[in-house]
Amino acid sequence: MKTETKRAVNAYTFSRIWNSAFLMPLLALLTALVLGALVIWVSSGSFLTVIDAYSGLVRGALFKERGLSESLVATIPYVLLSLAVAVGFKAGLFNIGVEGQFYIGAICAAWAGQVTDQLPAVIHLPFTLLSGALGGAIWAAVPGYLKARTGAHEVITTIMLNYVSFRFVEYAVSGPLRDLQSSAVQTPHVSASAELWSVAAIPERLQDPLNALAVAMCCGLVAFLVARVIRRRRERLALARPVTYTIGRGKPARAPSFFTRHSSLVAAVVTTALVFVALPVLVRLWWPFTDPYDRLHIGLLLALVAAVAIWWLLWKTTIGFELRTVGANPNAARYAGMNITRNVVLAMAISGALAGVAGTVEVLGVSICRCLPMFFSSGYGFDSIAIALLANNNPFGILGVSFLFGAMRNGADLMELNSGVSKYVISLIQALILLFTSAPVIMRWVFRVRVDRKAQEGPLTRGWGGSA
Amino acid sequence: MTLALQASGITKRFPGVLANDQVDFDLAKGEIHALLGENGAGKSTLVNILYGLYQPDEGQVAINGQPTRVASPHDAIAQGIGMVHQHFMLVPPLTVVENIILGYESVTRGTKMFGQMSVLDRRTAAQHIRALSQQYGLEIDPDAYVRDLPVGAQQRVEIVKALYRQADILILDEPTAVLTPQEADDLFVIMRGLAQQGKSIIFITHKLREVFAVADRISVMRAGRMVGSAKPADATSESLAAMMVGRDVILQIDKAEAHPGQPVLRVENLSVMDDRHHVMVNGVSFEVCAGEILGVAGVQGNGQTELAEALTGLRRVADGKISILDHDVTHATPRQITEASVAHVPEDRQKHGLVLTFPVRDNLVLCSYYRTPYAHGVEIDYSRIEQTAADLIHTFDVRTPGMATAVGSLSGGNQQKVIVARELARPVKLVIASQPTRGLDVGSIEFIHQRIVQARDRGAAVLLISAELDEILSLSDRIAVMYKGRILDTLDAKSATRQICGMLMAGVVQY
Ligand SMILES: Nc1ncnc2c1ncn2[C@@H]1O[C@H](COP(=O)(O)OP(=O)(O)OP(=O)(O)O)[C@@H](O)[C@H]1O
Ligand SMILES: [Mg+2]
Repeated sequence: MKTETKRAVNAYTFSRIWNSAFLMPLLALLTALVLGALVIWVSSGSFLTVIDAYSGLVRGALFKERGLSESLVATIPYVLLSLAVAVGFKAGLFNIGVEGQFYIGAICAAWAGQVTDQLPAVIHLPFTLLSGALGGAIWAAVPGYLKARTGAHEVITTIMLNYVSFRFVEYAVSGPLRDLQSSAVQTPHVSASAELWSVAAIPERLQDPLNALAVAMCCGLVAFLVARVIRRRRERLALARPVTYTIGRGKPARAPSFFTRHSSLVAAVVTTALVFVALPVLVRLWWPFTDPYDRLHIGLLLALVAAVAIWWLLWKTTIGFELRTVGANPNAARYAGMNITRNVVLAMAISGALAGVAGTVEVLGVSICRCLPMFFSSGYGFDSIAIALLANNNPFGILGVSFLFGAMRNGADLMELNSGVSKYVISLIQALILLFTSAPVIMRWVFRVRVDRKAQEGPLTRGWGGSA
Repeated sequence: MTLALQASGITKRFPGVLANDQVDFDLAKGEIHALLGENGAGKSTLVNILYGLYQPDEGQVAINGQPTRVASPHDAIAQGIGMVHQHFMLVPPLTVVENIILGYESVTRGTKMFGQMSVLDRRTAAQHIRALSQQYGLEIDPDAYVRDLPVGAQQRVEIVKALYRQADILILDEPTAVLTPQEADDLFVIMRGLAQQGKSIIFITHKLREVFAVADRISVMRAGRMVGSAKPADATSESLAAMMVGRDVILQIDKAEAHPGQPVLRVENLSVMDDRHHVMVNGVSFEVCAGEILGVAGVQGNGQTELAEALTGLRRVADGKISILDHDVTHATPRQITEASVAHVPEDRQKHGLVLTFPVRDNLVLCSYYRTPYAHGVEIDYSRIEQTAADLIHTFDVRTPGMATAVGSLSGGNQQKVIVARELARPVKLVIASQPTRGLDVGSIEFIHQRIVQARDRGAAVLLISAELDEILSLSDRIAVMYKGRILDTLDAKSATRQICGMLMAGVVQY
């Protein structure tokens, strides 16, 4: 191809990607903010209120004391829950039940967190996280199985299970799991070993050598993966390059040394050792987060890891290939030899596990009592359906949109205080964003964006007649 | 002569392709204008533009001499254009009537005050549809569910749908690809009738025989350009094929004598039911040996679909036994059957064969993504997949801007090539191919036929199921004719003729 045409094609491709992935959500966001401003203006009768409200929103979300921290605290469950929704969507399933799975994860974690205080954190914390994940996974796998085997639509069954889980949690909190030492109706405080470390507590936690070792090993694992990615990329480039042979007196080719052959392993070991030795000392000497009331906790890392892991799972593994195929065309999936039942159940289980972890994180990291109180209402689950849609089920998009929603949720209070505008205006704006993204026709019409009718994507999930 | 439709200078770009390049096209009143061209030449794109599905980047359209803009299919229908798409656009769980009136519902009188809430007037619509189908000789049952209809009948529903909306210009995009020769001939009678009543028809096809049978004028496209136009009287199959492909095409394949070996596929007393529990395959027994091609001929709907689905594990076997290389696979899963070295070209490419939203690359490994070298453990090695994909795209001449392009945006014939490439490139012992060349241009058919014969010569057993009698006659070593779920007779290809096969296909056993 001539470079000129190639460049034209590239520009065209770029504009298409931009149009399809970013333009619509951005337009939707802007339009929603403008309409929100109009509503505030009309209802308060003064344009100044609009400025007060939006500046309060931004200050509350980012700049006030602990504002950014609190926004991130709200972002964490959003990320995990919308990843849960996205995994379902990718497999052609509409998991409306994330809120219920979130509750089940929370109650499982509340149980596992207080069941013992004899374990070290490196065992107890993963155990608690796993319990929450497992609880959510099983809770979600049931509707998955029903869908695959009997055709019972997951929207109906997961909504029904939501109510079952709300009531079940109420029963457990007020009955068998109730903390008898407390006057409030809540589960017992989880052991210190099961708490998710708040950022302020990290230096202290790292003084325990076991914790330091665990953290070091995690860093080592990351180093291992990064080194492997780099090596793969280099190998691929080498493959693509034409081979040149040196004939005669070239330098004799040296056999690759142990270090080059096992570079990723070496990177892992070195990183682990360095982090283990140096990190506890360094954080004692200097640590930026000293505010003991700062609720930001290491669940943030967990959310980031989850996003990367889900991206890898969906796009780089055979498991994800199967899930996406089943979601995109179950008939072709069957033809290709994939087991529909297993994949539907698996997708729901992964989805439920993520939602369960979100519930766990709320109990272990955020709730002031580090327990599950009776009135544990979140609404996170329903918002995250909107987030997943808005991010077009892309894990990295989800990170961004979750932060947007977390920031709005957090900034709403100061907005109300600042301008007297009810904080439910935020829900209104979020609803508008959702409306505009799920009905792109409106946006295209308003902004006169032209598209080919055939190029539009099909529905995310199939309806009742689906043969999945 | 007035022009019903005139398009000039139409240009349409897609990412990485120039699908239409300054195309001029016109259609006279009462004319049947055939549009020929290779797979991916831009025929569907052109007619989709005329129907308002795509907007041209450049160029003008005039209808009845009036310059106009077709903004959407709705707009096209309002201007009297109807279209039958290459891939049907019917809603399977709805009835014929509901499908036809969809979007143009008439409502019972007196309920207007409820506006959108008014009651659907199915009865009047059904009467109207019956009248239409009688007037044009298009037999359909308005109350049948579309999902229960064979493809031929679905085709008629699509045509009636266009007529119901009072189309004067009818666009038929490869209407005969899914029809048997008999059904196609019926369609030509209908088309002639419509043309006599003043309707103008654009007719896209790959079958040269049909062009001569029905067209008044022929236009040929290649690589997005209009390269020529001819009257059927002045053209020959060879000249048209050469104009389409840009080189001479061998319309007749020559293949060596078969050397059958051990039986690979053995079917005993097989019975299979369809989704409505009608027995579609009724006690069928046959064998396919290594190194031979067994052709299954028959009018579509006589159990071939169910037979292929049962053999590949997609449909439950009601009775009987299937074995591949002496392993019982009667109740095996599709995966187990693939693992037994079986390739399957499915009949319905968009339903079973492809994931339309996935890139070409992924579709090319749809059946082997989990094996080495494409995957290590659970991790997929996309660089290996890309190597294979580049290779297959080149060998099978799949016209695509790149391997990352969604397969759904390829032209129909190129979608088919993706499937055939995937299935025929694997080293297999048994090939089950249903309509492998459906929708392909003459050049590609030639190539695919060579590949099938090559697979046979390498020692694979081939079961070829096709509604194209010519394809069966020219490729097969033995021919089994199916009628109402039974194999009426198995003929040696040397002694089989069109007549004999034709009679068997109609259920006549004495000849
Ligand atoms: N929606 C689309 N997006 C991107 N590219 C497209 C789209 N539709 C068609 N194309 C490209 O435009 C070219 C022409 O396609 P078109 O469907 O018009 O071919 P065709 O002549 O109908 O072929 P066939 O005989 O195989 O149906 C092809 O290269 C195809 O890949
Ligand atoms: Mg086409």
